[in-house]
Amino acid sequence: MIEVLIILTVISAFYMAWNIGANDAANSMATSYGSRALNLRQIIIIAAVLEFLGATFFGKNVVKTLAKGIVPIESLDPHLVICGAVAALLSAGLWITIATYLHLPISTTHSIVGAMLGFGIAAVSQGHLSLNAIKWDELIKIMLSWLVSPITGAILAFSIFSLIRLILFRKFHYERVERAFRYLQVFTASYVAFAHGSNDVANAVAPLALIFGHKVGAYYEIPTEILAFGGLGIAFGVATWGYKVIKMVGERITQLTYTRGFSAEFATATTVLVASALGLPISTTHTLVGSVIGVGLAGGLAGVNLRVIQRIIFSWILTLPISMLLSIGIYTILVVFV
Amino acid sequence: MKFFRSVGQVFGYSPFPTLVKHAVLCGRAVGILQKQFEAYENKDFNLVEKYRDEIDELESQADELKEEVRTHVTRSMILPIDRQDLLEFMRAQDEIINNCEHVGHMLTFRKVKLDVNIAGDFKILLAKIMECVNEYERMVEHINTLIETSFDKKEIQTILEIIQEVESLEHECDQVQIKLHTLLFNSNELNPLDVLLMDTWVVHLGYIANATARAADRFRLMILGR
Repeated sequence: MIEVLIILTVISAFYMAWNIGANDAANSMATSYGSRALNLRQIIIIAAVLEFLGATFFGKNVVKTLAKGIVPIESLDPHLVICGAVAALLSAGLWITIATYLHLPISTTHSIVGAMLGFGIAAVSQGHLSLNAIKWDELIKIMLSWLVSPITGAILAFSIFSLIRLILFRKFHYERVERAFRYLQVFTASYVAFAHGSNDVANAVAPLALIFGHKVGAYYEIPTEILAFGGLGIAFGVATWGYKVIKMVGERITQLTYTRGFSAEFATATTVLVASALGLPISTTHTLVGSVIGVGLAGGLAGVNLRVIQRIIFSWILTLPISMLLSIGIYTILVVFV
Repeated sequence: MKFFRSVGQVFGYSPFPTLVKHAVLCGRAVGILQKQFEAYENKDFNLVEKYRDEIDELESQADELKEEVRTHVTRSMILPIDRQDLLEFMRAQDEIINNCEHVGHMLTFRKVKLDVNIAGDFKILLAKIMECVNEYERMVEHINTLIETSFDKKEIQTILEIIQEVESLEHECDQVQIKLHTLLFNSNELNPLDVLLMDTWVVHLGYIANATARAADRFRLMILGR
């Protein structure tokens, strides 16, 4: 029975990674397509390769946080940890599927954090853990980073675009500046893909790390194979479905010239990569929204819709309890029946 | 293709292409007014009415564009210019085509027998207004580059020069109006009712030029106000 569960977890993890590649990676890359600096094929190749590299070589810290930063798995029976991993992945995957179908701008990060928390709370309610054992301070730190990351993106993007405007536009003809920034888009697109892979791979494979960490016996080290597996799933998602999303979202983004695209992407990638280094699981999509708003505040865009902020806050409020409740339910069923 | 989550919503509505379209309609209305006056001079009154309807149609298209901007530019949007300034400017620009519509109707009220001198001066006035509105259109079209350069000083300078040109053309319109009024009120052989009607034409043609200059001034406040 445990084997079946493990196979199920591996499949769910791959599906999560695929969904992250198809939707979130695609959203991050759509700005490059919107500014028409790269064609669709180039974007797909860059995204697939660099998401994979970011996930494999820079994803470890966030996986660590998600795997054992919220629930103290060391003090739980390995069997229960496997049930928790399955419950977290299934519930996050289920909610993401529903939300994707309903076009809700939710974050996979928030879903998996809510799901892991649900696993912890279920373990508490069954007397396997004390309430104080759950790492609340770590959880608060993670949730604070969700607030800080879009703001950081906005401030960075505002500063970068203001510098371009005040120094380069003043000194040179703006068409020359735009042309120069066209080539930089290859770099920022890669940067975004790398940063995104490094942060979001954990949303798919952190529960996997729980299981296989246990099995190997050294779950303090995350096996690189697991990260590569997640990276592969993301790359696969970009290539099989993400191109549609890139095309569709990119076609809406016509206001982004090369300098604006550069500012938003550079700010986003930097924020996300720093978060990955700190082991903080944040939403790349929300950071990107913050960055675009930053460019808008610097006077770079014809119209920025702030109503999207309401929708994002709404999706936060929705995602945490839903994925948490789903996870509590699935975990309880698994513990009782398996 | 139902299965997706999108970040595209953060890119909101851009009112600027619509502003330019609206300005182009204003220019077209003045162009039709010129043709309408020629038809009037040639006593082709059916054609005069046809042109009146064409201007009406342009005016209602312009109203739709104005409404579009007013409904989309909400407080939850970040614009590169002040929202209130933008709406004020839109209102001012709309007055140009509104006044064209008025004149278009006034040409259908009564069949005045036109004196060659007077008709000539009307055509000069219309041509001046056309020149003024053309220059104005050029000014509005510059909003695209202005936003692309993110309010570059050189670009603002170029626009300010065009605005001065619009204002000086409006002043030239005033001169032609004064000349026409003097001509109208000093020709003793004209029917007083004809004089009365032609006086309204002159006054309202003047309103078109005034509205253009006022909208240009609003445009200046808008781009300098940020």
